[in-house]
Amino acid sequence: MKKKLLNLFLIAAMLLVAVPVVAAAPPPQGGGQDYVVVADDWLSKLADKFLGDVLAYPAITYYTNQKNAEDPSYAKITNSDLIEVGWKIYIPSPEEAQAYFDAQVAKVGATGDTIKIGALAPFSAPGAVVGGTQMKAAFEIAVDEINAAGGVLGKPVELIIVDTEGLPERGTAAMERLINQDKVVAVVGEYHSAVGLTAKEVAHANHIPVVFAETWNDKITASKYPEVFRVAPLSSEVAALDANFIQSLGAKKVVIMTENTGYGIPAAESTTERLAERGIEAVTFSADIGTQDFSGIIERIKAENPDLILVLLTGETSYNFQQQAAEAGIGPQDLPMICNQVADNSEAFWSNVPDGNLCFYRKIGLAPALYTPETQAFVDKFFAKTGETPQSYAMEAYDSLKIMAQAINEAGSTDADAIIAALENISYDGALGHITFPYGINNPPPEDMGDKWWHQFPDFAATFIQYQEPGQNSADAPVVFPENLKTADPILP
Amino acid sequence: MEHASYFFLALLWIVGWGTVGAVVTPRIYGRKDLDVSQASLAGAATGAAGGPFALLPLWYLTPELTWKWVAIPSIVIVIIFAGSFAAADPNNLCVTNSGFVATQLVNGLVIGTIYGLMALGLTLIFSILGVVSFAHGEFYMLGGMAVFYLTDVWFPGLHPLVGVLGAAVLTFVIGVIFERLFLRAMNTGQVERPGEYAILVTFGLGFFLQYLTLALVGANPKKVPRFFEYPTISLPSADNPTLLKVTAGTIKMFNLISIPSPRFTAALIALILLVLLMWFLYYTWIGKALRAVSQDRQAAAVTGINPDTMNTLAFGLGTMLAGLSGASLVQVFSWVPWVGIPASARSFVIIVLGGMGSLPGAFIGGLIVGLVEAAGAGCVPDPQRAASYIPAYGMLILTLVLLLKPTGLFGREL
Repeated sequence: MKKKLLNLFLIAAMLLVAVPVVAAAPPPQGGGQDYVVVADDWLSKLADKFLGDVLAYPAITYYTNQKNAEDPSYAKITNSDLIEVGWKIYIPSPEEAQAYFDAQVAKVGATGDTIKIGALAPFSAPGAVVGGTQMKAAFEIAVDEINAAGGVLGKPVELIIVDTEGLPERGTAAMERLINQDKVVAVVGEYHSAVGLTAKEVAHANHIPVVFAETWNDKITASKYPEVFRVAPLSSEVAALDANFIQSLGAKKVVIMTENTGYGIPAAESTTERLAERGIEAVTFSADIGTQDFSGIIERIKAENPDLILVLLTGETSYNFQQQAAEAGIGPQDLPMICNQVADNSEAFWSNVPDGNLCFYRKIGLAPALYTPETQAFVDKFFAKTGETPQSYAMEAYDSLKIMAQAINEAGSTDADAIIAALENISYDGALGHITFPYGINNPPPEDMGDKWWHQFPDFAATFIQYQEPGQNSADAPVVFPENLKTADPILP
Repeated sequence: MEHASYFFLALLWIVGWGTVGAVVTPRIYGRKDLDVSQASLAGAATGAAGGPFALLPLWYLTPELTWKWVAIPSIVIVIIFAGSFAAADPNNLCVTNSGFVATQLVNGLVIGTIYGLMALGLTLIFSILGVVSFAHGEFYMLGGMAVFYLTDVWFPGLHPLVGVLGAAVLTFVIGVIFERLFLRAMNTGQVERPGEYAILVTFGLGFFLQYLTLALVGANPKKVPRFFEYPTISLPSADNPTLLKVTAGTIKMFNLISIPSPRFTAALIALILLVLLMWFLYYTWIGKALRAVSQDRQAAAVTGINPDTMNTLAFGLGTMLAGLSGASLVQVFSWVPWVGIPASARSFVIIVLGGMGSLPGAFIGGLIVGLVEAAGAGCVPDPQRAASYIPAYGMLILTLVLLLKPTGLFGREL
């Protein structure tokens, strides 16, 4: 039934889509013929007769109107469905018609007066709506900045943001829509790995460059598609960082509570591997996104008797688990718990996990002490716009769009290969710091590093933070890891 | 599992003899010209429990098939199932740790009570209007949101129970207004296909409420502090709390069973509401009128009951029950505008399981789903899968029951 409604909506949407704008550049003239309309003529019939293609009629309309501008004896066709007997029209030669259509295709994406860039983010469940909402605000800030600085290739950027709902199949559909219906020249964003994994296939098939924002799954870059770039961290590298931190806390047995998704399962697996290398045992439990009741699982975790719990659930699902664990006596005040990074939103964290004091969480992005002027400027603008502190995904969304705009400008065209070449050589300073993509077509990642480094931003910053007082603001909570950045020692329960 | 074969052999026994019983028993009863309405269910249960040793006597004696022929074999099946599981996986927590089992059972019952309360609303609507409300989950969500806004945002310091009352009033009023505006048309002949119309219009309402709430309150999860902070109690003494130990977060009984205290509060509220509802339905004139309409609209109308008014009342009561279960759970779970989606799916499972339109069926169905989910989450050996399959456990039971008794456990016979 949902589908039926959707279909109705789609039909309505199609009816509303604007008629394609007629291009301004005049294709070469000559070779065609004049024709006087007789009874029982219609344009597509004439197009079939003279040009061999019923769908070529817009070329007749276009050239006749061109002629009309110089010589009023030609008719002016305002509606291709309506021509009158006795009108003089101009039927272009097949070459002219071809030139007209080529010009249309070349204008795709740059049609009219804007450069169209697509953006993906989740705005409805089961996607991370909180993440999508921040990403949208970040995109809007980036678009405003780009357009205020003169736009891209001298034209303003038109950003088309599509909801992916965190669902892989929606990822495919959204990407198809952006490329084939909206005719974007490039795509940025997305939060969920599962969506990124399907969306990258569509981008690859259509040869449209993408800079992914918050999709951590290694496979997204490891497939070595020329079109795919990423400013988010690599899941496996984050797992190594987690393992180092867990080792520094002296844990011997860890329970990993993860989500049953394209992000959660591989992340738990690579963390387990990294922990095993350090001699630490790990048991993984997983739950679907949106799970509310964790009582059964929490009793099982208790029975495992772990030294530490690592929470890889996201969004409100992580809050549900953390608070229920605290109520059941295995919360952050009973044994070390690495909470999900959404804990960085301190207001939401404390209202949802009131017993969450001493939670550790990983923060991707620069620590406030290391903010560059660009980071500070973005944080200030974001706060002024939304009243919230931007999370790493907002910074990544902002940077992904700004990088894409800079690459198109440096490429000097909307041609995909030119943009990809520009992205490979990019040198950009943004909210995440200095971004480059060192490994790619011209410089393949070395054997010992692995394919995951393909078109990957290598220098992402990450720290561990701990809430050390109930109700503490995340800006005041101290960094406890790594050693060279820490502002306080971790407090163990 | 160490000896998985034991478990699967037992499963094969249950399924195999159950099938034989289900297929053959009705034929034998039919040949002897006896009532066959219960034969397939009772035959399946008896066969699954006792195999040929129970089936042959049954076929030979062909006794009258009362509910005992389903209930007793069902208990035996559960014992066979549990016993073979214990033999197959002797180190499983569900086998070795009695405290764990007791805690899971109690938690299953506690959450099942609240599931039951929500499903009761859905089944009430169905029994009187003949409509499956697809907006039920959204009323659950609204109930929780209302408590949050009443007690945390608009009137900080308001007693949470007043907030719950406010949530009940709000969801009741929205339900009544919606019924008057959109569902009344079904009974006046203004719509050609009332069933489909009702599905579409309630589905639309659900969509509308969910996205309107998202637009108004945003996507950040909300939560209400625990309604009651229980005092710290230790019985018999603080050093030796063998009977009862209450802390802010947990209630621990007999040093064995632990229940998180907000969940306990929620179940308590749900139980009180259930008792009140039963009293209302069985001992007041309006309640009797409601049940009369659910049995026969025309006959009820003849005796002076206005069925249209009862429709409105039933829809309002149904949405209010969903709102109340949400209101009592907003202190347990984080609340977001789409929190009702899985909850409403679970309610559908429960009312189909219990029998569409059956009030005791909805409550017992809720308990069964709560228990099955707890058992699944607790006992499935692979920790990675145990919780991921939670929605599937209820479905599995539902499929089995529908296969043998298409009207559900307590459904009216056609």
